[in-house]
Amino acid sequence: MDFYLGLAQVIGVHTLLGLSAYCVLLTGQVSLAQAAFFAVGAYVAAILTVIFKWHLFAALGVSAVVSGLTACAVGFPALRVKGLMLVVATLAFGEAVRLFFFNFTYQIQAGELKIGPHGAEGFRQIRYFPEHGWSTFDVLMFIWLMVAIVMACLWWLDQSRAGAVMRAVGEDEVAAHSSGINVTAVKVLAMTIGGVIAGIGGGIFAHYTTHIEHVQFGVILATFAIAYPILGGLSNVFGTLLAVIFIQGFLIEGLRFLGDWRNLLFGALIVLAMNLRPRGFLDAGGVASLKRMLFAGKEGSGA
Amino acid sequence: MDLLDLIDAVQSVADGLLFGSTYALLGIGFTLIFGVMHKINLSYAAASIGAAYGSLLLLGGFTAAPAIIVFMAAALCGGVIGALVYFIGFKFIPVANPLATLMSTVGLLLLIDEIIVHTTQGVPLAYPALYSDVVIRLGPFMLRGDLMFVFVLGCACMVLFLLLLYRTRLGIATRAVSQQPIASQLCGISILQVNVLTFVVTGMLGGIAGAMSGAAIGMLSPLLAQPLTVKGLIVTVIGGLGSIPGAIIAGLIVGGLESLFQFLRGVTERDLYIMMLLFAFLVFRPGGIFARAPGRD
Repeated sequence: MDFYLGLAQVIGVHTLLGLSAYCVLLTGQVSLAQAAFFAVGAYVAAILTVIFKWHLFAALGVSAVVSGLTACAVGFPALRVKGLMLVVATLAFGEAVRLFFFNFTYQIQAGELKIGPHGAEGFRQIRYFPEHGWSTFDVLMFIWLMVAIVMACLWWLDQSRAGAVMRAVGEDEVAAHSSGINVTAVKVLAMTIGGVIAGIGGGIFAHYTTHIEHVQFGVILATFAIAYPILGGLSNVFGTLLAVIFIQGFLIEGLRFLGDWRNLLFGALIVLAMNLRPRGFLDAGGVASLKRMLFAGKEGSGA
Repeated sequence: MDLLDLIDAVQSVADGLLFGSTYALLGIGFTLIFGVMHKINLSYAAASIGAAYGSLLLLGGFTAAPAIIVFMAAALCGGVIGALVYFIGFKFIPVANPLATLMSTVGLLLLIDEIIVHTTQGVPLAYPALYSDVVIRLGPFMLRGDLMFVFVLGCACMVLFLLLLYRTRLGIATRAVSQQPIASQLCGISILQVNVLTFVVTGMLGGIAGAMSGAAIGMLSPLLAQPLTVKGLIVTVIGGLGSIPGAIIAGLIVGGLESLFQFLRGVTERDLYIMMLLFAFLVFRPGGIFARAPGRD
């Protein structure tokens, strides 16, 4: 049972990461820096609860703000470039952040132990949950509550005017600009929201794994972050959730019995999925036919 | 810094410059694919390493094969893998959807890496180097023979490639497609043919680059794919997208600076400075080294 609880926790945290990339992708930017914002959130939240003994919620709030500010600060210079250049710029930023934490040491003496991040060895002993008597189930509920809140906010954003503006920038930047939208502001805003979500996700990640180190936040995690929304489809937030469940639940855990072959299959399935459904699992057409299927009776009776 | 340190610093820059020809070749590959297709091929460096492995597999029976044959085998494997990458990851995905291609090349990157790990059990393999026992002494400096060979080979490849691009019909067609795909189609150029040939040629360059890095480091490991991807992309951007001379010069610069930073600040901080260099370029000179002066569009 614990295995499934743990899996559900992983899926929840990765959904937050995927949603942060979803928000940025809506405006047509490919950002490989989401893992860096995730790392910033993880380290900030963990330092606050471990060294300064803050409450978890306060620490998560601060980590969200710090990640958001970092994202905003990266947004301005990085958004001068587009396409491949932006991919490389954000990749470089992500790697720079990872290498910063690789060389980052900030420890204090607590009893016989030294606590705090310690360079390449990483940051051990983030024991907020066990110390405060949270059971695995409580943690799981907390993670999914956060996922639900974030998804609801993004869903609402998508339906509102702001979402339409973001999509307009993503579809055709020149047209959006000429109809009076401040493209830079929209892009930086999307980047900042993405940073906030990644910061919350990172803070939670640090606390449930109890040990973070720089290698966890490398290019691979950044690639996964953009893979979820692209595989899931950008028409809707549930696509991202679906893709996370597919990748984390099915490909990584479900196929474990295949041993070595699983990893081989992993890349091949991504390629296959993109060849068969280039717009993602849940594209606009898919959503429309799903709606038809669900509400067929009502529409039929109306007509 | 006293004299001895200075000599060591210059020495490390020289070694880095020689190794930088690998990055330059990878940068050319990324640039050319981007120029022709306007899409990113993230699996390129992994395919290069895959081609180097393929050359070992191809010559598995002849362990004593001369290194030059190994390099030719790597180029051959690179061409084949390049064509495969095009048909699996690019051909059937709509042109107007760059995100899907990006993702499919990421899938290919993982797939190629895993195939390598699967067939070799993840054990690094020794790669033959030419002239590894030759050392050229120039006063207090020495040039390692294997690195010299890599550098000379890299330069030869670049010259051959530039001749191909600017002196042959294929080169004219490639450049035409990269500038005006529809107009060149109207002139009777087959886009499919040009795309496939581009992938084959860049694949061959990549295969040689993979073999060169294998020979310079002395071994091959699937772990090389990720750093080479990052460095290749950095070289592409610093050199300016679509600029081949830019890619060459940026490759040498990145190689030299990387080695210098490693000497000055140690291996853990080395890449941090390269990333900062890239960021500085993106902020102050986003068009790369050979960017045209900003003017009216």
